Amino acid sequence: MGYFGGCDVGSTYTKAVILNEKGEIAASTTIKSKIRSEESAKLAMDAVFEEAGLRGPEDLSYLIGTGYGRNKVPFADENISEISCHAMGVHVTAPEVRAVIDIGGQDVKGIAVDTDGTVKSFAMNDKCAAGTGRFFEAMARSFEMELPDFSKLSLKARNVIPITAQCTVFAESEVVSLVGEGKPVEEIAAGIEMAVAKRCFVMAKKAGATDSLALTGGCAKNDGLKAAIEKVLKLKVIELKTDPQLMGALGAAEFARQKGAGR
Amino acid sequence: MRDLKHLQYFEDLLQNANNDLVKKARADGKVCAAFVCENTPEPLFNLGNCFGVRLFAPNTGSMDVATYYMTSFLCETTRALLERAIEGGFNFADCVIAPDGCTMINRCIENMELLKAVESGSDRFFYEHMELPFKADENGVRLMEVQCRNHILTPLSEVYGIDVSDRAIRDAVREHNEICDLVNRIGDLRKDRRPRITGYEYAVLVLSTYVCPKYLLKDRLSETLEELKEREPDDREARARLVVTGSEMDDPEFIRLIEECGAFVCADRYCFGSLPGRKRIAMNEDEDALTQVCRHYTYECQCPRQMNMEKFYGRKAYINEIAKEYLADGVIYDQVKFCDPWAYERLSGSTALREEYGYPVLSVDRPYNIRSSSGQMRTRVQAFIESIEIKKLREGKAGTGGKA
Repeated sequence: MGYFGGCDVGSTYTKAVILNEKGEIAASTTIKSKIRSEESAKLAMDAVFEEAGLRGPEDLSYLIGTGYGRNKVPFADENISEISCHAMGVHVTAPEVRAVIDIGGQDVKGIAVDTDGTVKSFAMNDKCAAGTGRFFEAMARSFEMELPDFSKLSLKARNVIPITAQCTVFAESEVVSLVGEGKPVEEIAAGIEMAVAKRCFVMAKKAGATDSLALTGGCAKNDGLKAAIEKVLKLKVIELKTDPQLMGALGAAEFARQKGAGR
Repeated sequence: MRDLKHLQYFEDLLQNANNDLVKKARADGKVCAAFVCENTPEPLFNLGNCFGVRLFAPNTGSMDVATYYMTSFLCETTRALLERAIEGGFNFADCVIAPDGCTMINRCIENMELLKAVESGSDRFFYEHMELPFKADENGVRLMEVQCRNHILTPLSEVYGIDVSDRAIRDAVREHNEICDLVNRIGDLRKDRRPRITGYEYAVLVLSTYVCPKYLLKDRLSETLEELKEREPDDREARARLVVTGSEMDDPEFIRLIEECGAFVCADRYCFGSLPGRKRIAMNEDEDALTQVCRHYTYECQCPRQMNMEKFYGRKAYINEIAKEYLADGVIYDQVKFCDPWAYERLSGSTALREEYGYPVLSVDRPYNIRSSSGQMRTRVQAFIESIEIKKLREGKAGTGGKA
């Protein structure tokens, strides 16, 4: 049986997926990224080799790197941009999806997906980290909470306290001020989720979303954000049956399966 | 491909506006006229004992000082130029001649003047601000003629005794055309499916012709052309052939970044590019030289500052023409951050090229110094190239240039 690998070295997390010949996931992992992309990739790949019962890269027919460290993945046959890989990852998971918003550690991308899983068009935020995983990390830190707890906080809110600052630094100080004023933390959190959801609006439009979209990347696990997007943007967020954080690595592995077939 | 013999030499010239050839020309006793816009007739800065240098600010870092004077809402090119002037990077210039190509370059040069930022040491140093036509017609030609006479020829003649005669203009055009011919013969090599030159190498050569005295460049350009004729191209074709069009772009690193993602930049329609910046100027003996030069710059202009509808649509048609001529698969519309004319043109142009002409288009705004966001830009460009490549593979075709 042939195996095919995808390794998504992101700014915050590194993800790896191994597919078998049928396109089924044989192994997957998500680890915190190290300062050196090569090391992150190696650790992630070692984990999936072990899980899949493979000796190492020699047991893979094809390996593709993606993410910011895509050109640093040891033994990779080639690298493909994370934009293409997220589109393909979502396509193999939910072929009906045509619009994707990928919220990663330091950027947000809107991707329009063609019927064959290729990219029709895309948009990407600029250098500012507003509305990205870094932003949520900073906000959770302001609340002295872990990220998973923070992401559910806003679901309890009865009202929304708008957050005006989009800059991560200034938003953090705005949140600290609001907490200091004694405002309910869940309502502040709802304001944060609302602000990010609105920021996603531009990406959703550029991705051609009309009534639904899929969220990928680590922030796709943020329940509060999903709720805010559905409420504010009136767009149905399609639940992916595979971990949305793995979509880049999954897409890379699928490309590897297509390119490495017959090797 | 084997490295070009003089590539390092040309690259070194681009590390500093006050490069070795500028120093050499000044040591030769020549007067340096600095200019800042593609729309000013370049040969008029190369008259007699004068040589023109288009200002740029390589290796720009922080622009905080210039931002203080100009605000963060003005384009990064103009802020980078002001910053470099304040740093003393343009002190080689004997004059700075600026058009109202855009209001931002106006503000930039006004601030240079107010701050006395360029200190050449010459008590004859001067600034000139000139007007340029907004329309390509004969009124525009006459306006440019008057402006060039009042703000380039007269001051150069009166202050530095430069020969501004009709004969001197014809000589300068002849030299300009020699450079254009060399550049174009090199540029034509980009039409090959397996080109003998990369887009990056070409961008380096072209940029050097804007920022160096021309008479000192000819020999190396000629040698490079001869070398290229014998150069063995790479075996593989690029994953995609791209036209890069847009605003001011004086950083070949952007072209290198695009090509590192697997593309070949086959045509360059941006300020500091060769299309149409290095189109030779046709001259006849019947009409005076200044009028002919001004007519060339008025009608050939592809800058969005020209607002008549013929030009508006013509700019998109021009991109289509060069995309076909250079066998492009797609177009990158590039705009330096906060460039007003190109913000509008980028939107209308990318829409027209995509929807009316059928090209894949990537529309990006970028910082003046591309290194400050190269990671994100690389992701954008690579994804764009991948989408073109996949569609090409599926359609089983090479670059043919749109549907129109």
